[in-house]
Formats: sequence, C-alpha cells, structure tokens
Amino acid sequence: MASDTLNGPTNLKVRELLKEVQLDYSPSFTKLVDDTVSAIKGAIDRIPQDLLVTADVAPGFVRDIGADKVEFTFRKPISVELGGSYSMRCIAKPDVNVDVFVRMPKEMFHEKDYLNHRYHAKRFLYLCIIKRYLKLSSVAEKVEWSTFQNESRKPILVVHPAMRIAEAPIVLVRIIPTATSVFNVAKLNMKRNNIRALNQGAVLQPTPKYNSSILEDLFLEDNAEFVRRTFLGWNELGEALILLKVWARQRSSINAHDCLSGFLISVIMVYLASKSGGNRIKKSMNTMQIFRVMMDFIASSKLWETGLFFHPQGEWNTSKEERRTSLQSFPVIICDQFAGFNLTFRMTKGGFLELRNEAALTLSGIDKCRDGGFDEVFMTKVDFPAKYDYCIRLNLKGSTEVNALGFCLDDECWRSYEQKVLSLMHQGLNDRAKVIRVIWRNTPLGCNLEDGLSMFDREPLLIGISVNTLENALRVVDIGPNAENKNEALKFRKFWGDKAELRRFKDGTIAESTVWECKLWERHLIIKRISEHVLMRHLSLSQESITTIVDQLDFSLRYGNEDPLSFSASLLEAFEVLSKHLRLLDDIPLTVSSVQPLDPGFLSQPKLPILYYCIDLQGYVYLEGSGNWPMGDVAIEKTKSAFLLKIGQSLQSNWGMICNATEDDVVVFTSGYAFRLKILHEKGLTLTKWPMGSNQVKRVPSTDKILYMRSQHASMINGLQGRYPIYGPVVRLAKRWVAAHLLSTSLGEEAIELLVAYLFLKPLPFHAPSSRITGFLRFLRLLSEYDWAFSALVVDINGDLTPNDEKEVNGNFISSRKAYEENMQNASPAMFLATAYDKVSDAWTRSSPTSSELRRLAAYAKSSANLLAKLNLEDQLDSYRWEVGNNTRCLFRTPLSNYNAIVLLHRDRLPYPQHLLFPSEVNQGMHVVRGKPSKKFHPFLLPGDMKGSLEELKHKLMVNFDPLRCFVGDVEKEFPNKFKVWYDSLGGDAIGLTWEQSGSKKRGREEIAEEEDLFNVLKSVGEVGKGFVRSIYLPKAPKLK
Amino acid sequence: MERDMLTEAKPTGLKKIKKKDKPTETVPETNTYEVKEEKKRNKSLGQKRGVTVMGSRSKATVVGQHDIEAFKSDGALSEKNKRKLLRKMKRKRDRMNVSEIGKVDVLQDYVEYALDEQNGEHTHGKKEDGKLRKKGRRTEKTKKAGIDEVNVLCNKVEDDSKEENGKSRKARRSKKGHLSSKKEEKALEKSEPAQDEVYEISSGDEDCSRGMRKWITEYHQSRPGLEILQHRIDDFMTAYEEQEEQARKEQEALAAEGGWTVVVHHKGRKKTTDTESGIAVGSVAQAAVLEREAKKKSKTKDVGVDFYRFQKREAQRNEIMALQSKFEQDKKRIQQLRAARKFRPY
Repeated sequence: MASDTLNGPTNLKVRELLKEVQLDYSPSFTKLVDDTVSAIKGAIDRIPQDLLVTADVAPGFVRDIGADKVEFTFRKPISVELGGSYSMRCIAKPDVNVDVFVRMPKEMFHEKDYLNHRYHAKRFLYLCIIKRYLKLSSVAEKVEWSTFQNESRKPILVVHPAMRIAEAPIVLVRIIPTATSVFNVAKLNMKRNNIRALNQGAVLQPTPKYNSSILEDLFLEDNAEFVRRTFLGWNELGEALILLKVWARQRSSINAHDCLSGFLISVIMVYLASKSGGNRIKKSMNTMQIFRVMMDFIASSKLWETGLFFHPQGEWNTSKEERRTSLQSFPVIICDQFAGFNLTFRMTKGGFLELRNEAALTLSGIDKCRDGGFDEVFMTKVDFPAKYDYCIRLNLKGSTEVNALGFCLDDECWRSYEQKVLSLMHQGLNDRAKVIRVIWRNTPLGCNLEDGLSMFDREPLLIGISVNTLENALRVVDIGPNAENKNEALKFRKFWGDKAELRRFKDGTIAESTVWECKLWERHLIIKRISEHVLMRHLSLSQESITTIVDQLDFSLRYGNEDPLSFSASLLEAFEVLSKHLRLLDDIPLTVSSVQPLDPGFLSQPKLPILYYCIDLQGYVYLEGSGNWPMGDVAIEKTKSAFLLKIGQSLQSNWGMICNATEDDVVVFTSGYAFRLKILHEKGLTLTKWPMGSNQVKRVPSTDKILYMRSQHASMINGLQGRYPIYGPVVRLAKRWVAAHLLSTSLGEEAIELLVAYLFLKPLPFHAPSSRITGFLRFLRLLSEYDWAFSALVVDINGDLTPNDEKEVNGNFISSRKAYEENMQNASPAMFLATAYDKVSDAWTRSSPTSSELRRLAAYAKSSANLLAKLNLEDQLDSYRWEVGNNTRCLFRTPLSNYNAIVLLHRDRLPYPQHLLFPSEVNQGMHVVRGKPSKKFHPFLLPGDMKGSLEELKHKLMVNFDPLRCFVGDVEKEFPNKFKVWYDSLGGDAIGLTWEQSGSKKRGREEIAEEEDLFNVLKSVGEVGKGFVRSIYLPKAPKLK
Repeated sequence: MERDMLTEAKPTGLKKIKKKDKPTETVPETNTYEVKEEKKRNKSLGQKRGVTVMGSRSKATVVGQHDIEAFKSDGALSEKNKRKLLRKMKRKRDRMNVSEIGKVDVLQDYVEYALDEQNGEHTHGKKEDGKLRKKGRRTEKTKKAGIDEVNVLCNKVEDDSKEENGKSRKARRSKKGHLSSKKEEKALEKSEPAQDEVYEISSGDEDCSRGMRKWITEYHQSRPGLEILQHRIDDFMTAYEEQEEQARKEQEALAAEGGWTVVVHHKGRKKTTDTESGIAVGSVAQAAVLEREAKKKSKTKDVGVDFYRFQKREAQRNEIMALQSKFEQDKKRIQQLRAARKFRPY
C-alpha cells in the first residue's frame, strides 16, 4: 500500500509522458499512411517490366563496395507491406517513421549473388530505379537516401510524403528492401567466406558480418512479423516499448548503430515474454513493471554471457551448442529463430557495456530518486557532452587512411576505424579511463549515394571518456615494462615513440615510462596530451583535426598566464601561520579557541588576487566562552570589535604583522596575503530562531547568525572539496558565468556553491562529473531544467539528513509555496535550497533570486547550455568561438540589449581590471551620459607607491575596496524601487538597469513627464558614480511615434 | 499623415526646439542631448523632424507648446522650408551654447574627456551628416572662444594631477590630452552637434559628496587606525555602562521607594557559567536543553498516543487525511506541470 502511494505521482507522470509521445492513430493519420503507401505502390507499378539495370545507374556505389556482376532485369516487387513500429502501433514521437518493406523478387538474383557484395549492389540499384520513379510521381515531396542502421552498403529510401496532416507534421516513410528466401541459408554460414578478396595468402577468411548483413535482409520480414505478433493486443508491452525508446533516445551513447535500436529493444522484450526467455515478462505486469524487468535484465542478467537464443522454428533445427559456437565471434548474441544468425551482429563490446551501465544507473535512479526517478530516467538528456568527462572530436574528412583497404570488407571501413581508435585510446589511457566510447555517426540523411561512399567521412568521429578516479586520470608518470623485459619494452617504445624514456625509480627498478610533466593546475590536460600524442602517432592525424574538449573555458579562470590555484600552497601556509599566532595570543582577556576560514572552498577555489599582491580572505575567530559578555546586540558587537582591535594590536606588537581595522573586522597582512578577521560569538545564535513562512516582518538575521551560517557552509564545502577535487574548477566556472551575465545580485556565491555541490551529491542519471566542462554543462542544465516552482532542492553534503529532516524540509517548502499558489508571480524563495544547517532556505536564497530573476537565469542557462553542447559536438563552429563569438551567442558575454539602460564603467578604475573578460561597448541606441575617470583610485600599486613609507603604503593598499559595490549600493539607496541593477561582481565593466514596472500604461503627457524624468534620473545615476561611470546608454532609444 | 506625425512628435518633450522669441534668461544647461539615429533617419527618410534636441526640463513644456503652435502653422510649408527653419533654430541654440561654454566656471569643470571616444564619434557624425557640418563651420568662430577656455581648463586639470603624483602614466595622459584637445578642436569644427548631446559628468575628484572620491574618503574614514577605534569603543562602553548603571540605580531607587517593583521577563543571556564550579558551560548549554526537552517529550510519549481507542482512531484518520492531501497535492502539481509541458522528452 505504501509503495502504491509512493508510485502515485510516478504513474501519473508516466501516463502523461505516454500521452505526449504516443501517436494518435486517428482515421486521418491512417488514411494518410495508407494513401501514401498505395501511391508508392502505384509509382512502382509504373516502372516498365524487363528494364535492364546495369552498374551505370550508380557506378560510384558499385565500384566502392567492390561488386563485380550486377546486371539484372527489373521485376516488380513481390509485395509492398507496412511493417516496423507503425504496424505494432509503437511509434514514439517526435520521430514518426513508417517502415515499408519492399520484397525484391527472387528472379533478379543469381544463385551465387551472395558473393562479393553482388547482393548489396543489386539491392541498391533496385532502390535507385524505385527512387527515379518516385520522383516522377506526385506522392513524394522529397526522396532521400538514408542507411539501414548506419550501414552504408545497405541504403534505404526516405520518402517525405507530399500530403500532410496537422496531428503529425513530420511523417517519414522509409522504404526498406527485403530479400525473403532468395539465397540458400547454409551458404551464409558464419564460418564461410563470401568476399573472395578477403584472404591471407591462400586461406580465405570467414566473413560473419557480411553474411549476417545479407541474412538480416532474408529474414527481416519474418522477424518483424514475429515481433509484431507478440505485441499484438498486449497494450502494456507496447507502452513499455515506447518508454524504452524514449529512454534510449535520451542516451546518445547507447542509441547508436553499434548498440541499441528500436527493433532490438522489441526483440529483447519479445524474448523475455516468450518461453525461450523464461516468461520473465508476464501478462499481469503493468507498464512500469515491464520497464523495470527490462532494465534489470539488461543490467544484471548472466544470460548475456552465453547469448539469448530463441527456440528454433520450422525445418531449420540445430542444437543450441552448435549455434553458440557458430556465433562465438560476436561479443553479444541474440540468435534469431529462423536461421540462427545473430540479430545483434552490429553490437560492439563497448556499446554493450555502456548499455549495461546505463541500465544499472537507471535502476538506481528508479530506486533512489524522487517520483521513481521519472525525471532522471525519461526527461534528462544524457548526451555525449554531459555524460563523458572528456570529449574528443576527430575530423577525418579526406583522410585516406580510413578506407585504405577499401570501403567494405567483412566490416565497413568506418566501423573498423572506430575499433582501431578505441583500442589505441585504451592502450594510451590505460587505467586512467573507466569507459571509452567511440562513435562515428558517419551516414547523415540525404547523401548522394550514387556517387560512391567517399563522402561518408564528413561527420566528425566522437570519443567520449569517463575518468576512472581523478588520482589515476591526473597521474603524471606511467610506468611501463621493466627494461630487462626486452620484448615488452620494445613494444612499449614502439607504441609511445619518443615519449618513452628509461627511468630509474625509487625502489631501484629501471623501467620504461612516460612522463607528462606539467604544472599543478594543468593536470587536467594530461589526458588531452596523451590522446593527442597517441592519435597523431598512430593515425597520422594532424593536430588541427583533433579537438579535445577540456580547456576551452580555462581562459575565464586564469589570472595572467597562471591559474590562481598556484597560490594555494603558500596561501595555506600563511593561513596556518596566522592561526597559530592567533591561538598563542596571551595578552587578550579570552583565548582564541579556533580559527576557521570563511571563504568557502578557501584553498582550492581561491579568489583571484585583488591588489597587486593581496588576496583578501575572510576567516573567523572563535573565542572561548565567558560569562562577562554584555547584553544587547549593540553592546555585543562593540565588545567583539574591541576584541578584534586587541587581537590586531597584539599581532602587531608581538609578530610585527600589519593590521588595519574597521569597526567590523580587522585586516591582517601577512606573507603577502590579507586576512580579514571576524569574531563569532555563539550567543547571537541562541537569540535567532524564528518560524518559517509566518508573515511577520522578516527579521534581519544577526551578524552572528550570518557568520554561523557561513562558517557551517564553508566547512561543509571544504569537506566536499576534499572528496571531489574537480568541484573547485566547476564552481569557479559557474560563478564566472553567473557574474558574466550580470546576475551577481540574483544568485549569491553560496547558492552557486550549493547548486554545484548538488551535481556531485546527486549525480543521477550520471556519475559525479570529473571534468570542469562537463560539470559546468550540468550546472547550466540543472539551473534551466530543475522544477524550481514545485520542488525544493535539498543539498545534503555530509549525508546527515534523516528522513524526518527531509519531511521537515518538505513541510517548510510546502508552507513557503502556499503564498505562491495564491499569487503565481511571487514565490519566495523562488529557489528553495535546503541544507542540513538551513532547512528553511533562509541563508542564501531568501530574497533573491526572485521569480523573474530566476526566469532570466533559467533562460540564459538554457541557451548557454545548448551552445556549450553544440560547441562540444560540432566542427563547423570555429574553435575561437569559445572565447570571442558574437555578442549574443557567447557563453561568457551577455547581450546588453536586454536592459533598459546600460552603465559602462571606466575599465582601469575597476577593482580587478585584469578580471574583465570582454570589454563592453555599446554601438547602438542613445548615448546619454559621459563621465571622466577619477584620478584618486588605482587598482594597482604603481611603482612610485612602493617608495613611500610603510604607513603610506598601507594607506594606498585598499583591501576590499570595491567601487563597483559602492556604486551599486549608492544607486540602490538613492533610487529605491526605481530600477533593478544587474552587475558583475567579478569584474565586468557594464551594469544593466531595468525599470521596475509600474504596471499601468501611461499615456500622453504623463509619458512625456516620465521620459523627461528618465533622462534626469540617468544623469543623477551618472553623478552618483562620478569618476567611475564612463557612459550611460539607452540601448533602445525611447519610443517616438 | 505627415502633419499628424509632426504634432505628435512634438509633445514628447524629448526634443525641444528653441525659438527665437524665447526669453533670454532661460539659459539652457550645457546638458543637451541628441538622438543620433534620429538624425540618420531624418536624413534618409526625409522626415521633417529636424535635428532633435533635448534641453533643460523646466522650460521644456512651455517651449514645447510654443513649438506645437509654430509647427501647426508651419504645417503647410514645404518640407524644405521646414528643414531650413529648423536649422536656423539650431544655429541659434548653438550660439547660446557657445556662450554658455564660455561661462563655464572653473570649478564646474565640464571638461571634455573621453577624447578618443569622442573623436571616433565625430568622424562618424561627419560621414553621416554632411549638411550639418556646413552649419557647424559657420558657428565655428563663436565656438572657438569657448573651446579655448575649455582646453585651458582641461590642461590645467591635467597639470594639477601631474604635479600631484608626478607619475609617468599621468604625464602620458596629459600629453595625450594636449594632443587630442587639438584633435578635438578640429573635430568640433567639423561636427559640433554630436558633442553637446551627451551629458558630461566630471571626475568628481574635487567633490567629496558623490562618486569615487566619496567612496575612497569613506573607506579611509572607516579605518582611522587601531588606537582611535579603540578609543571610540571605550567611550561607547563607558557610556553604555553608565547608562546601565543609571537604569539599575533608578530601579533600585524605585524599589526602595515603593517597596515593590514590576517583575519583567528577562530576555537576556542564558547562564554560561556554572555558579558553583565556575566552569564555562555556554557552548553545551543549548544542546543540553534540547536534549532535556527531547527526553521530556519522549517520556510523555511513552504514556498515551495509542492508549485510548479514540487516539488510535484519530491517528488513523490523520494518516489517511495526510495521504489524501498528498495525493491531492501531487495531482495539482501534475496539472501545473502539464500546463508547463514538462512531460515532453524532446
């Protein structure tokens, strides 16, 4: 009963999903299909009989597949039948493909046409003739070539029907030739050679794939009919098939020619529903149960090792053992029941392992995630860029090596090349990689096949790499065979070339090895270097044709030529020294009991240096308890300040550290860094606990409360950082992105840190990311796809939330959404982020982002994610687009036209001018204000400044002085509720202003007054930022009728 | 149609054409604006909007009304004439501007900056607006006097800064200033109108009330040095303690007087030190309290909950209600999700 209520929403959701993807077999739709098919039939009927077909119809194709005798006289097809998913009513939108089987007559083939690609050539020529006549008829708007399961020697015709209906705007009719009982099956035995060119000396090699390719056509109709019969009238089975198709389509790594197809899914289902498969799928099961059985079977069944065998049918009858031995050359076996050939003859080992991985991940998603993992299983796109940590793209256009031995032997050259690349990558990366996947989707729709197969190298080949552990992946030295082992050493040298070197190791062994020396922050490039080295050495590729997606966004994290990560060792040291000094202070009334860094990810994601050599970092000091603290908030704060001053003085006199203080904090300069100290007093915490959702005036949390939250947050994030070293770079990219789009006010740094943390803690349907770009892409997708309106995001960093806690969080969430239901515009907080230390989402997202800000965030994230994925997969976008690009499409450059007014700042007066990624300019609209830069402030210490006294230097060194923040603060103070300020806290030179909508449309005079007012307001904004504002623009000049 | 556009365009107030009969004391501020694109359109499309200029707000409406009338009567005029008229008006305005610039106070410091930007703009303007150039030349003479003053001023400021910090960078800038002020002069001659549309703000270095200078001052003011801060806090604490003392005394006096006092709930701190042993217990106090509370709760729970039959029945009913409400919630969510088309996997 409990599970029923648990599954409630899941089932509802699955129903809704099915409604979306199932095709309505309305009379108009079936009529469209029937009409189209009969029109096709009619067109074919018009082809004159006894037409002599020769190789001249498509000389290029015949030449490239290497067929010798191909002439035949055209005969009408024996039958033209609907088949495939349409006949089973299992089409899943949006791909509406209607398969039509055209059975070729036996007379057009000679007895021995199974030899030397003669069958394939005639098959193609037959389609050529049909295509010619279809084009003449009015049934097709367009007729294109495609291929059957990416196998280029088996083309099919795709007809775009001229007729259209509204329910299914895009219907494609695929014409698939079949060759039922054309050849003697025994001649196509797996052991036989049927391509005479394929020999080693006098020994002819068996051609199992080639044979299977022909056998497939011989029994295509029989198998399709067999599947159809099982599905007939079994509603749940059909629905489960559609779900499985949706599932597979979301996963581009398994929805591929060397892995799964819709037909293979249905075959496996039929197997499980039949006696051969032990009736694992029963009539009593519902749709989701069948889905689960399938996942379970794929993920964990032992049967895959021996293969799946249907009970043989008809006259063909051999023992299972016999069939097994005949098929043993294939990594995965699903033996068909008619001729004992392997239905999965295209499936590779890598593809199959990936399929099992995905199924296993899906199962854990179903078990662990909310609503039965519905979103993770069906709605999340698991494509190459998001799934794999490293993506490599090979551009092989015009590469002669691919087809050096000919296009088609037993296997096709592209498939062999995939295998070659895969084995090279395996050998090169070794245990660095957990999974390597190589896919070359090389047969796009609409090629001109008549001219041959040489254009099938145009699409890029994709390599996806999942990293094993980061420790392995970032290893600098690979130790090879011992030098004494001559044979192995020679092999090693041959593989690595000049990268191999003989080294003596600490334990005294002398071994061949490869060393990938690099700086600490460049370790993530090792995999790229290895792959490029290996591929270039063995495939004679140029560097330009290899694109590794790994460091393309690093430019945004660099400081000068270095990653600030290089400072972390000295920073850590400085912090240790400081905290030691602090704890040893004995001339203050209370002793310091602990010192903690406050900036989250303090060490692994440092902020960039701010002033000349100063890094501003916050830490807090925890004093031992005492009964002598005063009462009252103000007095407590003053006492804390007094303590801080004492600490500062003491540090100054005891250790000669320079200190600088305000009433709130003390800045200590030591070893080239500036540390800002604050005091956390636990008393402030006990005072502040207020109920959530009550509509009282929101209390401003006390400074201690804020400090406490921050310290909790910082220590959790530091813990997470230890577990996932890649967390730091991902967070930095995410922050950079948010800031670059002027959303710094909307999404605070801590909120970003939590969102990224979520990616690592709840990675399903992926594994936790192991590269910055993958992590960043998933961050963008999370931001844009998460259902913020109806779900809380719980980030449980140390796994210390109990079910009761989660219930509490959920309760808090629901009460926070009560208000939302009344007023759809304002949910507060719009982004509900709950953590162990903050179950009411009060700490970071209480007031921002607002619903409208969140919408903006999501929209930006979506377009950025799409662009990032595209950059990952496609070649035609030039590589420089990663950095520059045009205004609207760049990842880190925001379109300025989305604001009502733009304030540009003086670049050299920014607190961190070196952080500016792209200088902003406005070329359109109206220039309203122009300002001069102040001469009072320089973000850098100038050489002249260094000559002055220490005191002067201290004066010049303005730690934590941020004119941008001052300006924004002043603007918001002077014009409350006038407009919303969008800015980049990490160092952009543009600020966007949007008016707060007053709602009612004003007309006539009022409008004039308003616009007049507008200019005055903008002028005052400029005045507020005197010395800092460069210019103010109105991108859209005011409307003038 | 055209007429309509005219009359409508006028009262937007963004563009104000100064008329000859304008009272002289309405000295326009130097902050005048222009829509550059307007100009372009104006030229290419032959609309008769003329060079649109925006001026000081206070007089805008008055003048605007004058304009409407003027234009209504102009309506019949040919387009050419209209443009001529507009140009005339503009010239007039220019002259006034020039005299205005001349008057610029040294401290007002409306010094031209953004030299490079401007130059770029000027050349742009040049291409765009051949006709206006002509007119610009005509006003050149009067203009020049003003510009000279501006330049002197400009240089002066630069020199000041040079003296002030004697940095090579500054020197370069000031050199550049000289150079480009010449350039600027030329540019001004060519296409003066582009220049006075944009409101200029000074660097604000002389003025502490707003902008960069203010922030820097505030920054330094908040960091007067450890000793001074210490003094301030000491002063505060003494005052605070005195105040407390005062309050206490008053209370005591009251108590002594009347013999009784109102007992108020003391919201203050919890005990952080054990009175007997003197051990600090502050950091554990809260946890201890919570624990105690939890214990209390669990004790009360031991008895009851499902002791009476009605309790059991109630519990059951509550559970069912909870489930029902959850189901309802889920359904509502589904509806909302459906509305948002969240079920389409593509």
